[in-house]
Amino acid sequence: MKGLKVIYYTALLQMKCSFARPMFRFCLIANPIVNTVLLYEMFKSSDRGDFVSYVVLGAGLMALWSCICFSSAGDINRERYSGTLSLIYVAPAGFSAIITGKVIGNTILSMVTFILSFLTAKILFRIDIKVSHPYCLLLAIFCAVVSFSMISIIVAYLLTLSRKTQLYMNCIEIPVILVCGFVFPAEILPLWVRPISYILSPTWAVKLIRLSVSEVWNIKEFYTVLCILIAVTAVYLVIGYFLLKLIESQVRVLATLEVS
Amino acid sequence: MDCVIDVQDLHREFVTSKGWVHRKKERVKAVDGISFQVKRGEVFGLLGQNGAGKTTTIKMLITLLAPTKGKCEVLGFDTFSQEKKIRNRINFIFGGELGLYRRLSARDNLKYFACLYHIGQEEADSRTARILELVGLSEKADILVETFSKGMIQRLQIARGLLNDPEILFMDEPTVGLDPLGARMLRDIIRTLKEEGKTILLTTHYMYEADELCDRIAILNHGKLVAIDTPANLKKLAEEEEVIEIRLEYPMENKVKEIEMIQGVKQAVLQQDEKDCLLTVKYSAGAEIIEAVMEILKGTKVHSFSNREITLEDVYIKMLEGLS
Repeated sequence: MKGLKVIYYTALLQMKCSFARPMFRFCLIANPIVNTVLLYEMFKSSDRGDFVSYVVLGAGLMALWSCICFSSAGDINRERYSGTLSLIYVAPAGFSAIITGKVIGNTILSMVTFILSFLTAKILFRIDIKVSHPYCLLLAIFCAVVSFSMISIIVAYLLTLSRKTQLYMNCIEIPVILVCGFVFPAEILPLWVRPISYILSPTWAVKLIRLSVSEVWNIKEFYTVLCILIAVTAVYLVIGYFLLKLIESQVRVLATLEVS
Repeated sequence: MDCVIDVQDLHREFVTSKGWVHRKKERVKAVDGISFQVKRGEVFGLLGQNGAGKTTTIKMLITLLAPTKGKCEVLGFDTFSQEKKIRNRINFIFGGELGLYRRLSARDNLKYFACLYHIGQEEADSRTARILELVGLSEKADILVETFSKGMIQRLQIARGLLNDPEILFMDEPTVGLDPLGARMLRDIIRTLKEEGKTILLTTHYMYEADELCDRIAILNHGKLVAIDTPANLKKLAEEEEVIEIRLEYPMENKVKEIEMIQGVKQAVLQQDEKDCLLTVKYSAGAEIIEAVMEILKGTKVHSFSNREITLEDVYIKMLEGLS
């Protein structure tokens, strides 16, 4: 119960602090609008019948991932440089609960990107996205939030070990967008890249969202992808647990919580 | 009184790597085998130059850093393997302007940290209000911290450190950046906490502060403990010395050198202020130097002359100069 309270308050505080930052507001508001326009122009001459879902969902997902990179991951660096990382690390609430709260706060706030990219597509290009299975879409979005949060938590843990957070943060942003098939199907990637796609949970989350808005409804495929997403996220949970144990001692050995 | 901090043969090394192709590892010994104990209710001071190992020692005690070697126990628990049993019973205040969420108000900062220390909502509200009053920030409670002055940030740091009513409070140069009123307020808070039976471990560069507040003092130099005792006993180490202070117009430099040549004089230091100069002469107790000093200063306008007692600063400087 105490842990949940910490997660709840941390998420609220995170939303407040993140929204106050101009860079985050840019990622949250400008990014999905620009992405939607660019993707629409790129896809409009394609022969894909489902290009609208790639434009709207792709733009939203790209902006969501950018928000997560620049907030969840970037927050570790911000906290380090503002001297609060060490304070939250030694707080009795526990580092894992605090990081979870931060990531959840950012991810929930970042979901605004979907609404903005949907509105941009509707207002500028007069295109609608037809949701054939709204409950499945809600379930898919919920699973995506959980899986994105989980991967962010792991990234955040790893970044506590190094002071070069900014560099790593920039390095992971674009490759994940490309490898996980945010704006094109992951199946068109070269064979040797695909294993990387398949071990990343966003690949499955994106696929699940796309399936839920697909006009060709394939319930078997939907549940297969859902099961894979749950399994991959569960593996992340286990990795995250052991990583936390390792990192909790390593940051104190390596002294990476602060800048001197 | 029971022992609440137990440090035995404590070491901490930092490893840094240099170079791209041939990476070289460099090891820096920040703390090099120190041992001390702090009793419950004691105000214990850690003094030393920059880089002496004071902050590293505190960071190991507050469970933020792992010791490389040695015993480091707080409230009977190991700071590296049993940190969860310690964290809600201690707190710390670091000097400087870091350690707060600048985009939040002072009240929101304290409420959030109260949540992280598992303090209930109502209790958090009342403690926040009381502590803000104590540090003189009640009127600024709902203003964003990014608009605060250095001193106000430092006061808020102090408030944060008191939130969980800690049994042991660690303070690393807490008066840095505080104006005289703020520094006095903090000293009053430390005295009140001591009366309440709290244990305080304090580092400071202000010797008069350590002398005034600490029951015992440990002096660190290059990571090693060079002295540990009460301020009164430490001052006895320089008992064989006396000090005269002379306020005067700026004298010729050679006159200071001449004073140093007087038999019995150990050191003559000239410090220039805005209005005049302060000449501090340390000499062997009992040596008759005053007439000789005044003779040399003949022709220089002397504003005041005093024979003062040995201070902790004299002892500290003597000790570190002796070591270097």
